[in-house]
Amino acid sequence: MDEIVKIKNLTIKDDKDNILVSNVSLNIKKGEIFGLVGESGSGKTLTAKSIINLLPDNLVYNADLIETVGMNMDNISAREKRELIGKNIGFIPQNTIFFLHPMIKIKNQIADGYIEHMKKSKKEALDKAAILLGKVGFDEPRSILNYYPWQLSGGMRQRVNIAMALMNEPKLIIADEPTTALDSTIQRQVVDLFKTINEELGISILLISHDLALVKHYSKKIAVMYAGQIVESGIADDIFSNPKHPYTQSLMKIIPTFNMKKDERLSEIPGFVQETGRGNAGCIFKNRCPEAMDICSEKVMEHNIENEHYYKCNLED
Amino acid sequence: MAKKKETFYKNSSMIIGLILVSCVLLICILSYFYMPYEPNEMNISDRFIKPSDNSEYILGTDNFGRDILSRIMIGSRTVLTVGIGSVCIGAFIGIALGALSAQFKRVVGSAIMRVMDGLMAFPGILLAMMLVTVVGRGAQGSIIAISIFMIPTFARLVNSMMLDTESLLYIKAAKSYGSTNMQIFFKHFIPAMLPKLITQFSSAVGSAVMIETSLSFLGLGIQPPNASWGLMLSEARQFFLQYPYLAVAPGIAIIMTVLGFNLIGDGLNDLLIKRRSKA
Amino acid sequence: MLNYILSRFKSSIVVLFVVSIITFAVLMIIPGDPAQLILGTEATPDVVQELHSAMGLDKPLYEQYGNWLINLLKFDMGTSYLYGESVTTLILNCLPITLSVALYSMIIATIIAFIFGIISAIKKDSVIDYFSRSIMQLGTAIPSFWIGMVFVVFFGLKLKWFPISGYVPASESFLGFIKSITMPSVVLAIGEFGLLLRIIRSSMQESISQDYMDMAKVKGLSMGKIYLKYALRGAMVAPLTIIGMQFAKLVGGTTVVETVFALPGLGRLVLTAVEHRDIVLLQGLVMFITSSVILITFIVDILIMFMNPRIKTFERGE
Repeated sequence: MDEIVKIKNLTIKDDKDNILVSNVSLNIKKGEIFGLVGESGSGKTLTAKSIINLLPDNLVYNADLIETVGMNMDNISAREKRELIGKNIGFIPQNTIFFLHPMIKIKNQIADGYIEHMKKSKKEALDKAAILLGKVGFDEPRSILNYYPWQLSGGMRQRVNIAMALMNEPKLIIADEPTTALDSTIQRQVVDLFKTINEELGISILLISHDLALVKHYSKKIAVMYAGQIVESGIADDIFSNPKHPYTQSLMKIIPTFNMKKDERLSEIPGFVQETGRGNAGCIFKNRCPEAMDICSEKVMEHNIENEHYYKCNLED
Repeated sequence: MAKKKETFYKNSSMIIGLILVSCVLLICILSYFYMPYEPNEMNISDRFIKPSDNSEYILGTDNFGRDILSRIMIGSRTVLTVGIGSVCIGAFIGIALGALSAQFKRVVGSAIMRVMDGLMAFPGILLAMMLVTVVGRGAQGSIIAISIFMIPTFARLVNSMMLDTESLLYIKAAKSYGSTNMQIFFKHFIPAMLPKLITQFSSAVGSAVMIETSLSFLGLGIQPPNASWGLMLSEARQFFLQYPYLAVAPGIAIIMTVLGFNLIGDGLNDLLIKRRSKA
Repeated sequence: MLNYILSRFKSSIVVLFVVSIITFAVLMIIPGDPAQLILGTEATPDVVQELHSAMGLDKPLYEQYGNWLINLLKFDMGTSYLYGESVTTLILNCLPITLSVALYSMIIATIIAFIFGIISAIKKDSVIDYFSRSIMQLGTAIPSFWIGMVFVVFFGLKLKWFPISGYVPASESFLGFIKSITMPSVVLAIGEFGLLLRIIRSSMQESISQDYMDMAKVKGLSMGKIYLKYALRGAMVAPLTIIGMQFAKLVGGTTVVETVFALPGLGRLVLTAVEHRDIVLLQGLVMFITSSVILITFIVDILIMFMNPRIKTFERGE
């Protein structure tokens, strides 16, 4: 089993039948860092949440296949799902402060999943936690255990979360906008940490971000989402050197580079991400695309070129 | 779908509250026009008639042969007068005090609020009982006692609401172009506070009725031979073993009234909060 | 932290002070001469005047208040007209009964409220949720004296499960003690559980909607554990405050129940004092009960403070 996550044609609707995510497919291989890129509202967090069964109650999802660690999620019970996710996936959310219980000390939250799944004693669990806290960069892991979450800074909490996610030696870590709430100096540290984890322990990482520069630097494969659909995906290097979709191309232009001239404007993509009509047959990017054609309202061609490079566009190259 | 169930529940409880209160109000109004019998008229030969026995007395008669239905009807007058009246008085004074203390924040305001805190520290029945000792029993005493009990709640509510909205821009603007404080109070503060005040009012009536009936039950409220539902229950107590029906009507009357006002109060609370979050 | 305790202490003292003034003032307004009341109508004016002076009633009001206050601090609340005994003794005799009933009813109310409140919150909009909310409304609307009477007849006389009146001290027979306070406590609990249930329900709902619940789910913990460890802990602050408040108020609110069930507690004593216009007794009782309310509220606030590691404002980055 090479793939940790396999999603085929995932569609997510809300209770008013609006389509939020449409026909998303992606595969994350073992030991791979997969970057999921898109603006806010593009559906990337929702896609990730459907892997770990955290979709809000008012949303319904439908997929040809959601397979996690080789298990088809449809075929197992809720309890088995929880166990599977708990044992094999670690989640690092965007705003850690809300995800750690404010009234419980770190030592009493960080290890409970480990104790439950691995059937270890509290002492063993805390020993392991201390080791992991050391690995994520804390000088005094034991003292961190005695703190409450609000006594730590954002960066420290992020690292606690990473340690917590590593407790069960997961096969996959989902990191949702791991750097958005952090200072730029800490951002670097945190994502380097991800890289180390991936290289040393072989853990796959689903890196979700709107920060293209970040994703470019650290991912092996990426998928670009726009308005609930994947418009382009493939090997990162390939896509960055040869973006095919107009949206991806526009995104590339936005990355501020050190080569920018002093007064050169950051280019913008005019328009807004549309909320409705995401299930239509035509191209979802049409009303913002600088190269839109009439046919783009009716259908959109899918291309699969070499190096697993996939994109949706009517433009012939 | 769950939302629909929820709104249905909330609306239906408000409607039930309105129905209950309307019934009680109707009975009260009706009492001024027609009562089957003279409520205080004793008829020893007709004592202890059960409701099922006799079609002449719909709810039966009590230990003195008085018609229970008529007594319930006339009792509704006292209950509503005392209940609503005391809340009106208490609210009026409380709002005035609250506004005053918001206006003169430092010395006077603090002092007033401290006194309000003091008043609120007394458990309800205890305060009422203490006041009744001073002002006397009967309807008048009850109204005074319960009004005083209600003052701090309204005073604190108004005080905090006014202090909250006072720093809002439009109030400052109004002050700057010379409106007097009284004008600002009536034109701006009162409308803003009205939803919460009305909600509080309704719940307060529920409490007031509960306290009044408790006082009457203890013998500190309405005095015999007048009728109050609490008094009727206390009178029924001696004979309750043999004649349990005596307690049914007054008990249900009290429950209906208190429940009705409480449901309306809660319903208003939901309605007005919902409206505010939409706006 | 110390600042908080000090400030709460300061305001409690101020409130106590105000309460003492109100208590003293209100009962001093009563028309009629206490000395006259004690001696009755047949006493000659001279004798009345003598007692009047002996009781210090011709001193200026503020001096009377001062003396009363000082005596209070020495736990001397004077002598009751009616009973001729020290008010303090009377209160201490009646206190255990009222405390037992208040405590027992608080326990019952808390258990009911927690069970239904938590289930209501977890299974929102289910049948049990609507059921809980309905009985909650009903409970607060039912007069305690009415349901008390019903209980006396039904459980006491018909089913003979409990004694219909009277108090059995725990020293005599523990089972008898429990039996004698069960009905009154249940009756009180019916009136109390409503508010608590509502608070627990809304508190739990809010806790359940927090993000830490998601994290617990991803870690794969069982739902039961998640609700008990994470949801409940986040929901405890408001309910505990209410429990404290309600218990405090109960101590002063047992009059009706004690009357219906003939329990010789503080509530009944207050009623007697009011009926006989025993000012000294009444002043002492009101002061004692209200001070207890303020004390209990203060203690509860401090306990809550320890329970709730204060949440600092969230920082962004470092």
